[in-house]
Amino acid sequence: MAHSETELTISEAYERDNDRALKFLKPRFHEEKFPMTQILGYIGSLILTFAAYFLVINRVLPSIALLAVILTLAVMQGALQLGVFMHVREGRGLAWQLIPLYLVFLIALGMVGMSVWIMLFKSGVS
Amino acid sequence: MPAFIVHLIHTLFPKTVLFPDILLIDLGLVVGGIGLFIFMTKTHRWGWLWREWLTTVDHKRIAVLYLIAAIVMLFRGGIDAEMIRAQLALPGTHFMPAIQYDEVFTTHGTIMIFFMGMPFIFALFNAVVPLMIGARDVAFPRINAMSYWLFACGAILFNISFIIGGSPDAGWTAYPPYTGLAFNPGPGENYYFLALIIAGIGTTMTGINFLVTTVRMRAPGMTLMRMPLFIWSAMVTSALVLFAFPPLTVALAMSLFDRLFGSSFFTLGHGGMPMMYVNLFWLFGHPEVYILVIPLFGVFSEVVATFSKKQLFGYPIMVASILAIMFLSYGTWVHHFFTMGAGPGVNVFFGLSTMLIAIPTGVKIFNWIFTMWGGRIQFTVAMLYQLAFIPTFVIGGATGVMLAAVPADYQFHNSYFVIAHFHNVIIGGTLFGLLSGLYYWWPKMFGSKLNEKQGRVAFWLFFIGFWVTFSPQYLLGLKGMTRRLYTYPAGLGWHELNVISTVGALIMGAGFVALVFNIVWTLVYGERDLTGDPWDGRTLEWSLPSPVPEYNFARVPVVHARDAWWDMKQKGQSLAQLSPEDVHDIEMPRNTPVPFLLGVAFFVVGFALTFKWWPIAGIGLAGVFAIIIFSGFDYEDHHHLKAEVVRKTEASLGRLQG
Repeated sequence: MAHSETELTISEAYERDNDRALKFLKPRFHEEKFPMTQILGYIGSLILTFAAYFLVINRVLPSIALLAVILTLAVMQGALQLGVFMHVREGRGLAWQLIPLYLVFLIALGMVGMSVWIMLFKSGVS
Repeated sequence: MPAFIVHLIHTLFPKTVLFPDILLIDLGLVVGGIGLFIFMTKTHRWGWLWREWLTTVDHKRIAVLYLIAAIVMLFRGGIDAEMIRAQLALPGTHFMPAIQYDEVFTTHGTIMIFFMGMPFIFALFNAVVPLMIGARDVAFPRINAMSYWLFACGAILFNISFIIGGSPDAGWTAYPPYTGLAFNPGPGENYYFLALIIAGIGTTMTGINFLVTTVRMRAPGMTLMRMPLFIWSAMVTSALVLFAFPPLTVALAMSLFDRLFGSSFFTLGHGGMPMMYVNLFWLFGHPEVYILVIPLFGVFSEVVATFSKKQLFGYPIMVASILAIMFLSYGTWVHHFFTMGAGPGVNVFFGLSTMLIAIPTGVKIFNWIFTMWGGRIQFTVAMLYQLAFIPTFVIGGATGVMLAAVPADYQFHNSYFVIAHFHNVIIGGTLFGLLSGLYYWWPKMFGSKLNEKQGRVAFWLFFIGFWVTFSPQYLLGLKGMTRRLYTYPAGLGWHELNVISTVGALIMGAGFVALVFNIVWTLVYGERDLTGDPWDGRTLEWSLPSPVPEYNFARVPVVHARDAWWDMKQKGQSLAQLSPEDVHDIEMPRNTPVPFLLGVAFFVVGFALTFKWWPIAGIGLAGVFAIIIFSGFDYEDHHHLKAEVVRKTEASLGRLQG
């Protein structure tokens, strides 16, 4: 009944709210004796690379579908590298590195998007 | 003679490297090399060289290495510039054949930007950043040394091209399809791509290193808003390096694949897209010009505050504008190729974004002027460069805004107007800033002030020479003289202006001679600075003795205000008075041959790939991997400096109580 809310000190409440607001920054920190995750990640990244190579060399898909599949494989590859080898969520305390990482995604997308926009010119100068 | 040796000689020394002047340089290099070898052996200096310099991981020594490389490269690039001006002084001159002229302007641009400007900036970063933030070294000392040796490997690879195999001749931008095999079969462009890729790896590592250093290694109490502006500029520059270099590496690697493995990324046939290279190159290239100038904004902010005896005016606004410049500089790259014809939408967007950058830059200019206003200005050489920088950079910036107006750019494009504009900002901003920083921090690096009187002579020669060289080039551009023109007929009205411009180039050459004389004279006769604080400085590096001991700070300082050292001096505190109990064992990085050997291995890879010697390239690559793996398992990477040793050193500097 007269539970928690009133009994919390101000700083505790602040901390709790902070925890809720920054839940996505909660780090996961774990250690293994044998680097199983890394080995699986390595095999996975090789599979993703060779899958893309196979699709391009053998041309089993129409061009647009091929492009879509390769881009999907690339995104998966990037996520795998960041998650497994670059320890993106690990660390002591909150994982502040995630915020600049989102900024990086924004800038990278901006660069790619604007490059596509620029290179779609139709004036026949090329 | 066996046939393969004849073939080897023809490959390494084709007709394009057998001009009489190059043969003379070959002879000079051989004689000089033998002389140096004998000198080093007679004086038993090989061990000293290996222990003290080649295997060092100390940021202060790496700074000296960068500085030497930068000044040597300034000489090389400067000689190229004088050759260009000699060729263009009079109409119809054939001082050099067309092929050699093309090679000279290519190496001039590439060397001045990648092998003079950037190492000079990294020299200042290495010399000052850890001292300013109260750290004992950079975050990753070994990677710092690797960066240097990769840069050195790239620089050597690029520079030997003119005596072995032939220089690149496609301009510092190396646009395809001219860099493709169909038009450019020699090894020159291979040198260009490989040297820049290898040096680029080193630069990227430097970017990571200084970003982590400035974020993580600051002394207690130095919050973000208490960082000196030079540290802000180092942080922003490192972030720019991190984002800008990947597109360059990708573009260079794809061009290299086109040349070595027959792919068609940028070729004319097989669905290649040459303009995509241009897009990727400038995606790097525009942030690059800010990499070249933002560190000097930081230098000027320190210099102007020190020599006006005032706190920097509008510090928060300065920080905000430097961040705004960083952000905006990613969105302007199309202004380098408006004439590609991307259509009005694209061109207007990038024209406007370019003009927008002038606003935060203007804010910075006003803040420097307001810092000087009401201050007690000391006209030292460092301050003279600052005073010369402001009008020069403003005019360079104003002509930049003219170039950002798209319809006008269609007229200016590829003319000498563009040449004059970017020399105006790069010499006025970067070179003046580098020299200002050199004169300002020289006592910290070497323990004696550069002679001021001689420095003044060099300054006026550079300043006057600069304006005499480049103001006629604006007019030449408006009169229709295009860039990269190897000769021109009489009667176009370009004659007189070109003569004036060449005279200016000679004055700048005299400025360089004066600078080198100043440096050598000071090294020989310079008066030792015993205070460690000859300028009455404001930031933490001046709290240390000059030159700085290996461990920088015997006790890490606590920062209470923005200009930390000035604040301590005002309160009558001093870091010079340590009590012996304050000194503890210090963990220091251990010297290692890994970075040097990595540079050697990369050099083998680069040189072998240039001539497509696959087995040797394979051996070099195996060496690279072996060294990296060895380095990963090398746990003996640090040692402890005993408190007793530190106490003894501090006592000999007179900084220990009791």
